[in-house]
Amino acid sequence: MEIELQEIFDFISAIPPFDRLPPEVVTAVSRKITIRYLRRGRSLPPLGVEEHRLYLLRKGAVSIHSHRNTLLGKLGEGDVCTAFCLGDAHEPFRVEVEEDTLLYTLSCEEVEVLLQQYPDVLAYFHHTASHRLNLTMMKMEENRSLPSLLLQTPVRDILRAPAVTAPQTVTIREAAIRMSEARVSSLILTADEQPVGIVTDRDITKRCVAQGLSTATAVAEIMTRTISSVSSATDAFEAMMKMTRNHVRHLAVIDDGTLKGMVNVSDLLHLEGRNAVYITNAIRKAESVAALKEQSKTLPQLQWQLVQAGVPAQRITEVMTAVGSAITRRLIQLAEEKLGPPPVAYGWVAAGSHARREQSSHSDQDNALFIGDDLRDEDAPWFEALAKFVSDGLAACGYSYCPGEVMATNPRWRLRRDQWSKLFRKWITTPSPKALMYSSIFFDLRTVYGDKSLLSGVREEILQLTPRSELFLAHLTHNALKLKPPLGFFRDFVLVHDGKHNDTLDLKHNGLAPIVDLARIYALAEGATAVATIERLQEVAGTPSLSMAAAANLEDAFEFIGTLRIHHQAQQIHRGEEADNFMAPSAISKLERAHLKDAFKVIQTLQSYVESRYKVG
Amino acid sequence: MLFEHFLGAEARRKRLLPRAPEGAVRDFLEIPFPHYRTPLDRVPILALDFETTGLNPVRDHILSIGAVVVERLEIQLATAYHQVICTEGALHEAGVIVHHITDDHKAQGEALERVLPELLQQMAGKALLVHYAPVERRFLQQTCLRLYGMAPVFPIIDTMEIARRRLDQRTALYSPQDLRLFNLRGRHNLPRYKAHNALNDAIATAELLLAELELKQLAKPPALGTLTLPPWSR
Repeated sequence: MEIELQEIFDFISAIPPFDRLPPEVVTAVSRKITIRYLRRGRSLPPLGVEEHRLYLLRKGAVSIHSHRNTLLGKLGEGDVCTAFCLGDAHEPFRVEVEEDTLLYTLSCEEVEVLLQQYPDVLAYFHHTASHRLNLTMMKMEENRSLPSLLLQTPVRDILRAPAVTAPQTVTIREAAIRMSEARVSSLILTADEQPVGIVTDRDITKRCVAQGLSTATAVAEIMTRTISSVSSATDAFEAMMKMTRNHVRHLAVIDDGTLKGMVNVSDLLHLEGRNAVYITNAIRKAESVAALKEQSKTLPQLQWQLVQAGVPAQRITEVMTAVGSAITRRLIQLAEEKLGPPPVAYGWVAAGSHARREQSSHSDQDNALFIGDDLRDEDAPWFEALAKFVSDGLAACGYSYCPGEVMATNPRWRLRRDQWSKLFRKWITTPSPKALMYSSIFFDLRTVYGDKSLLSGVREEILQLTPRSELFLAHLTHNALKLKPPLGFFRDFVLVHDGKHNDTLDLKHNGLAPIVDLARIYALAEGATAVATIERLQEVAGTPSLSMAAAANLEDAFEFIGTLRIHHQAQQIHRGEEADNFMAPSAISKLERAHLKDAFKVIQTLQSYVESRYKVG
Repeated sequence: MLFEHFLGAEARRKRLLPRAPEGAVRDFLEIPFPHYRTPLDRVPILALDFETTGLNPVRDHILSIGAVVVERLEIQLATAYHQVICTEGALHEAGVIVHHITDDHKAQGEALERVLPELLQQMAGKALLVHYAPVERRFLQQTCLRLYGMAPVFPIIDTMEIARRRLDQRTALYSPQDLRLFNLRGRHNLPRYKAHNALNDAIATAELLLAELELKQLAKPPALGTLTLPPWSR
């Protein structure tokens, strides 16, 4: 049977959240629609409509304004105006028709009745932006609660082959030697070439050494005679379950009675981070900048693989940052080999996203040097040479020079501890908006190599001062509020505050950076020691600066935008393009746009809170 | 003048009623038409579209009927009605292509004899809305004449006529093409519908009416009489 209102059905079933409904419910929804047409210049609700309604824009455009006449948002074809139905604690607002508009309308009450079986969809109309965002994030968590790489990888891809074996007649000592030579932690014992038992390094410790048993005893005395095994097609997750059930750490991989190899628990545990572990190992062993450069080329690919494996955005940036740190450390070691030992203690300090552990494969380098107070003038060139070597090395490895010159090569940021201390004191106690504009990055620092106490001492002083420094916090806030999230989307454009449209969404500057800035303000206001954005939010949650709920909302927003960014970059990498932070709205699904809008709303709300909390002047 | 036309429709209804045969036509004529002075937002309207095998009501057949009620100047999709009619004889191939009604579909249809009473019942007490009235009016009258022996009068709002009057008031010339439903809708920023069936066209016509009314930028909805057609025209 064909659907009678096919046109309307097709239209509605493509719009979130209706796209989540089964066809029969969409049909029922379309049967309850009344159609209105409004000319440009009219307003919503239309004349004569008293009840609260939901408005679906079939054609045309409307704009939403606050009572103070600031533009709150703009809706076009396929957008849903929920403003009259709900939830969002609104100031008074008005909706103006900007283009001749054909509307599909539904009474809010009707929507309730039609969708009562679908709380997920109803939530879209009920809840505030932050609540919706939270539901979305919970869904995302659920979807990846199973480590998907374990599920996707068959044991044959990770097994160690061939299995190391020995006849069961060998002594325990011979078995131990065989294992240590082969660098394995288990040994399959055979009789007539057939596996008859297994012995592990733990067995030797527990059943032989701890019991005072002679190592000349036949290994058959202490071996386990039942060999837990899986086939090579078993997925890694199932293998892990089997280990858990059987209380073993090693599994034999056997296909049709033939021993194919072994797999142990750490093979499985390392599966997710395997590539990162491999790369950082190779980095540690690299003997030249050229070798490091080779390794760093695999970084975009690593990012792509982690995304494919369903690893959360925050974990991915942690891994990318860890690799970045490993490269930095190896460069410093290579520099020390070349320049000789350091004349005094120092700490190589990462700033910005590297310090916050929020790097992606596409990040600039931001760094500084904290040098011991006992630095003599004649030793200064050593540090200059170090900075140059490391900075050039980082650039060779794909970490572009910082356009703002926040690098240890810049003598302004290559200072003794006491100079840093003085500088921070000046920034905090006699703040100027302009100075803070360039220095906010220095409030996100982490020692990557060398003496950590140089930075941590200064940090303690900073965090003593900042909570009491209202003017400093006010200037910091003032600068931070220059980056605002967009209002939302209008057709295939990003809608920004003055009603202008942008072709692309800058996920970094219009999404992540405002949250990073907010978290920094809260952390400094509360004297919180955390540096990473999520950790800062968690540390200050429940303080006067930030309620628990608001912290959770910001975390959700950060994670959502971060996920979108990391996925966007993964796709670019996959297409062989350079990864960036710019997304065309046309590449963002309707659902993602809805979630993004919610995230923007969360940021806007908290920005206006800090704005009124730290009013300049 | 248009008031008089509509007045005429009501007068003819009263004249025809005593002579009407028992049954569907009489039932239809018994219910008064909406008063010509009633503001349009209080007039129940039935947007109607027939798909036919041709334009000659004697020789050609109705293939399908689509209708939807407009109340308070809102299109009520809950009232959407679509009925395929089964007629004797194979379909003309050309018509099939336009209307996407195949012989298979037609076989599932209802006989016009069974459909017309319920349609007349739907129409009673309402103003009809069509785009280019002659087709629907003539087919309705011819069918009633054939089935019941009397062709009743129908109060009809014609969106093509509304658009024509609007365009006539301007100095710019227009071509007859401009009056087609599709082209008029484009001018009003109304969506392009892909599917062409009687129900879609009825909805499309109703949307066009709403758009034409908004274009007039009236403070209040106009009275029904200013929009209806003389019943004897064409």
